[in-house]
Amino acid sequence: MSSEQLAVEMRGIVKQFPGVLANNHVDFSVRAGEIHALVGENGAGKSTLMNILYGLIHPDEGEILINGKPVHMAGPRDAIALGIGMVHQHFMLIPVFSVGENIMLGREPVAAYDFYDRARARRSIQELTKRYGLALDSDARMGDLPVGLQQRAEIVKVLYRGANILILDEPTGVLTPQETKELFVVLRDLVKSGGKTIIFISHKLKEVLDISDRITVMRRGKVVGHLTTKDSNEEEIATLMVGREVLLRVDKKPAQPRAVVMKVDNLSANSDRGVPALKGVSFELRQGEILGIAGVEGNGQSELMEVLAGTRKPTGGAVLLGDRNITTYDARTERDAGVAFIPEDRRGTGLVLSFSIAENSILGRERSATFSWRSFVLRLVAIRDWARRLVKEFDVRTPSIDVAARNLSGGNQQKVIVAREIGSRPKVLLAAQPTRGVDIGAIEFIHRRIVAERDAGTAVLLVSAELDEVRSLSDRIAVMYEGQIVSIESPDTPEERLGLLMTGGGKAREGAA
Amino acid sequence: MGAGLAMPLGSVLLAFVLGAIICLVTGADPIAAYTGLLCGGVGLGCTQGENSALQISNTIVFFIPLVTAGVAVALPFRAGLFNIGAEGQLIAGAVACTAIGVQFQDLPTPVLLPMVLIGGMAAGAIWAGIAGVLKATVGAHEVVTTIMLNYVAQWLLRYMIIGGPLQLGEGTSTSKPIGAGAHIATVFPAGNAIIFGLPSSVYRVHWGLAVSLLAAAAFAFLLWRTSFGYEIRAVGQSQKAARYAGVSVRRTIIFTMLIAGGFAGLAGAVQVAGVDHNLTDKYFYDTTGFDAIAVALLGLGSAVGIIFASLLFGALHSGGAIMQSDAGISSNLVLVLQALILFSIAANFVGEIRRILPFGRAKPTEAIPPEMPPAAGLMSGPPASVEDEVK
Amino acid sequence: MSALGDVGQLLLTANLWQAVLAAAVLLLLPALGGVISERSGVVNIAMEGMMLTGAFFAVVADLAWHNAWLATGVAMIAGALMASIHAIVSIRFRADQIVSGIAINIFAAGLTVFLVNRIYGLQDIGHVGPTEGLPYITIHGLDQIPFIGQVVFDQNVVVYIALILLVAIHLLLFRTRLGLRIRAVGEHPMAADTAGINVYLIRYSCVIASGLLSGLAGAFLAIGISNTFVPNMTDGRGYIALAAMIFGKWTPFGAFIACLIFGLGQAIYDNNSAIHISPYLLSMLPYILTLVVLAGLVGRSTPPAADGLPYTAGSE
Repeated sequence: MSSEQLAVEMRGIVKQFPGVLANNHVDFSVRAGEIHALVGENGAGKSTLMNILYGLIHPDEGEILINGKPVHMAGPRDAIALGIGMVHQHFMLIPVFSVGENIMLGREPVAAYDFYDRARARRSIQELTKRYGLALDSDARMGDLPVGLQQRAEIVKVLYRGANILILDEPTGVLTPQETKELFVVLRDLVKSGGKTIIFISHKLKEVLDISDRITVMRRGKVVGHLTTKDSNEEEIATLMVGREVLLRVDKKPAQPRAVVMKVDNLSANSDRGVPALKGVSFELRQGEILGIAGVEGNGQSELMEVLAGTRKPTGGAVLLGDRNITTYDARTERDAGVAFIPEDRRGTGLVLSFSIAENSILGRERSATFSWRSFVLRLVAIRDWARRLVKEFDVRTPSIDVAARNLSGGNQQKVIVAREIGSRPKVLLAAQPTRGVDIGAIEFIHRRIVAERDAGTAVLLVSAELDEVRSLSDRIAVMYEGQIVSIESPDTPEERLGLLMTGGGKAREGAA
Repeated sequence: MGAGLAMPLGSVLLAFVLGAIICLVTGADPIAAYTGLLCGGVGLGCTQGENSALQISNTIVFFIPLVTAGVAVALPFRAGLFNIGAEGQLIAGAVACTAIGVQFQDLPTPVLLPMVLIGGMAAGAIWAGIAGVLKATVGAHEVVTTIMLNYVAQWLLRYMIIGGPLQLGEGTSTSKPIGAGAHIATVFPAGNAIIFGLPSSVYRVHWGLAVSLLAAAAFAFLLWRTSFGYEIRAVGQSQKAARYAGVSVRRTIIFTMLIAGGFAGLAGAVQVAGVDHNLTDKYFYDTTGFDAIAVALLGLGSAVGIIFASLLFGALHSGGAIMQSDAGISSNLVLVLQALILFSIAANFVGEIRRILPFGRAKPTEAIPPEMPPAAGLMSGPPASVEDEVK
Repeated sequence: MSALGDVGQLLLTANLWQAVLAAAVLLLLPALGGVISERSGVVNIAMEGMMLTGAFFAVVADLAWHNAWLATGVAMIAGALMASIHAIVSIRFRADQIVSGIAINIFAAGLTVFLVNRIYGLQDIGHVGPTEGLPYITIHGLDQIPFIGQVVFDQNVVVYIALILLVAIHLLLFRTRLGLRIRAVGEHPMAADTAGINVYLIRYSCVIASGLLSGLAGAFLAIGISNTFVPNMTDGRGYIALAAMIFGKWTPFGAFIACLIFGLGQAIYDNNSAIHISPYLLSMLPYILTLVVLAGLVGRSTPPAADGLPYTAGSE
């Protein structure tokens, strides 16, 4: 394979961020005129690699060749000049502007006196869209368009600037199945008639197999596989993605689940965008068991946790705690009722970063009888004792309880949250991504504590994007995909099957409850 | 703690340097100006025989309402709100105090004094509460609403004492005097005993001083020792975390403004009860509420900081009068200095200077000190996250 | 109530509406400045201070050189200089934009009186002569139209300029390429940046433009309507202009409608001898009106999405 036939070649790319080696000597190449899929879990390093290709980030080491020539990019403008265009996961679109204005931004056609020439813009866009079969109404308001068409506008924007190499970052995450089909038609056409080269970042294996010619798999910052699509299958990709690492098996006794403590019945909710994210989820949670929810992020797990914790209003369904209907309870009432919540966003939601450990230890409970006198005056001594106890019990590494939370390491920050929520002796513990970004020692500790809670009779609902974690902690595993539970499995289920279910493949086991 | 003080101290220093430059450029003598300020402020370096003790007394008289008004600005800051209406709330308090003090002028001190003070607090609370409710319900930005309320208060004051119910007599712009029961005693008893070289009745410093210090203490207590204070700070630092905690952001905003208005109204009531014993047109031009903004920022929103900043601004205020009479330089230079201090703090010039100087610490420049909550945008509502992390 | 009847009578006179338009223009100019500045994403509450500065320098320059046009130019430059302080502090130093705006207003209030003292000592600043102010121009012919003729075509030259600016700025913002870019910067600076637009340049320019407009308004106030400088003579108009901007949903014509409403309040106050209510109660009118307008904003007025947020160009 001579370099001349390669549209993109990245050699030996290294990129270090504080605390994580995002790209670890990555070699990546794409042939001209192909659709190449870059696959991996969250945190695998694929977005970082592409941001480097687009000039948004500079690599610490390594070189990049475009069409055989070494290049150095100071910023996206250089990448654009080289014919590279990127369609980001979060669109660079202005909702209040029209489609035409968005596409033309920076290269607007003008008539006399700097007046924006709307007619000429419309014509240029029509030309483009006809050429590539991407029908768009140039005068429509961008914010009114469905996401699929917004994405199409992003693609046209990129083409308008003369892109020959298109990078699409998780493009189908926001699309309906129908929109995805339409997108794929467009992509194939861009390659066939337009001679474009496409890099397609995704973790949705079915789609990757559908659209791509070749696949590169990344895991934890390294390239772990080069595959030719027609010779491969979902199991092979899933295995490479998820990896055969040493499982952190927690030593635990078999679960002894007792009475049902929480019943979720056909629960539905919308995401922040107003789109249905949770589409009728039902399950039971028993005292003394850990129910793990496995799934790739963005399939409704966040919304599920938020509804159960009282920070998001559901659009339908019910939640029962014992025989109390707690569907409409807000966060404080939930907490008082015995539902504790370890949120997935520890820095934004779970902690007030400028507060000390001591102050954060009572977040949400500042009016409870334990920590305040008649919900008015804080019992400082009690709070400090409590904080000290938590720090000791949960081994939070800090010189004092007065250190601001923002000065703690990620792992210790998480421990503060975990300590606070578990320490409140809840009936139900909701744990969302409890060990994300946390060092190994802290992970083990948190896992042990969660199991200890379970043994003491707490019901635990665990959501995690780390399959290993779900498998090692859970007594039962519910797999979520696109807002629904597709199956409930035992933790002994092989990884490949779970990986399959998580990415939309496989069949539900009969008799799943 | 050392690093924390450098910024406000450095900002004051920087402001004085820039002020000196402005003096020089416009042909004023900065030495004469600052000597005047020093004399009027702390009684040092007086060249024209002014009595030092009197100057200090005057400084404290200015200090007293500044502290309470400073609290009225600092408390909402903690919740992420800008209370630019402290002046209007103060005037409302002064008007209420006068109205009650006149209406019930025959009541004895133990009854009347608490009445006028509480009345003043209530009036101030209502004044601020209007802005708070508008913000919490319709999202009307408190900067514009509180400023409008300032003007309304000013004109209400004028109406009351000129042609209105409180007017003393035809053609005057003074109110009837409040009853003796509503007076706050001066520290030095009225009379002709010579104290520090002058008859004691000259010194107007009064026991409102105790009220101010109590107010500062109450502010610190509220903010750091109560559940509500905890929630105010949480809302100011992270509305997301506050919601996670189950705090009602709306209710917090309204109550914070009510309490803040109460403090500002108290400042006005104490001023009437302690100094003037009536309402005059000078309140129309009063700037205490605006000085309080600089006080709150310079004091970094803490009770102790506010006290020190109030001393500084009280001294500047008092000094301005001497500067004008001795050196012939307009006391408005004090306003200029105040603005320069504000710029310096907001832009963290000191931080920038330290970055450039070889012996400065290489800290990244932050805009407002981290203790103060970030406040951006002229309307409430989720700001777009521009700085998306590049993963 | 006879007062209400008085007001009713007043509303029927062309004189009143003539005054309304003039008062509205005095608010419109800073409001337009605010619109431009905020459309580019910089919160600007310093119009009050910039206007006051413009007023002061207009009077000083006119007394010195006896030329209203020159004086107006000086006023606009003074306003622009004030604005550039706000721009540097807010954009380069990323200070909180509201604190910076307040600081400018305090700075202007203090500096103007300080300079009066420096330049004129203990004397009065003096008055601008009758022929040296900004001229009133009657458009002959059109001014004969009943009612409207007097209201619209018998005004100070600045009123005509302001109305032309109103149309021009509307066209600029919503029809030209520059306007598109300004608005892009205010909505999504990162998208604008990656599209090759210079976010900083646009923001600086827009803030300075607001200074020019506010300076013009100050000149109008000082040497068009009155003929001298009085401390704090702007009386909160800069802040009312802000409310007009919010009411007008950050559009020029929307702001103009609000300015007309506020101008009505102002004009009624100015004519208080015709109405038998305490002038002080009437003085509250513009401000209470503003509150009512803000309270009644149905469907919250949304500012440009990135308004008030300092921008850091580039990544990392």
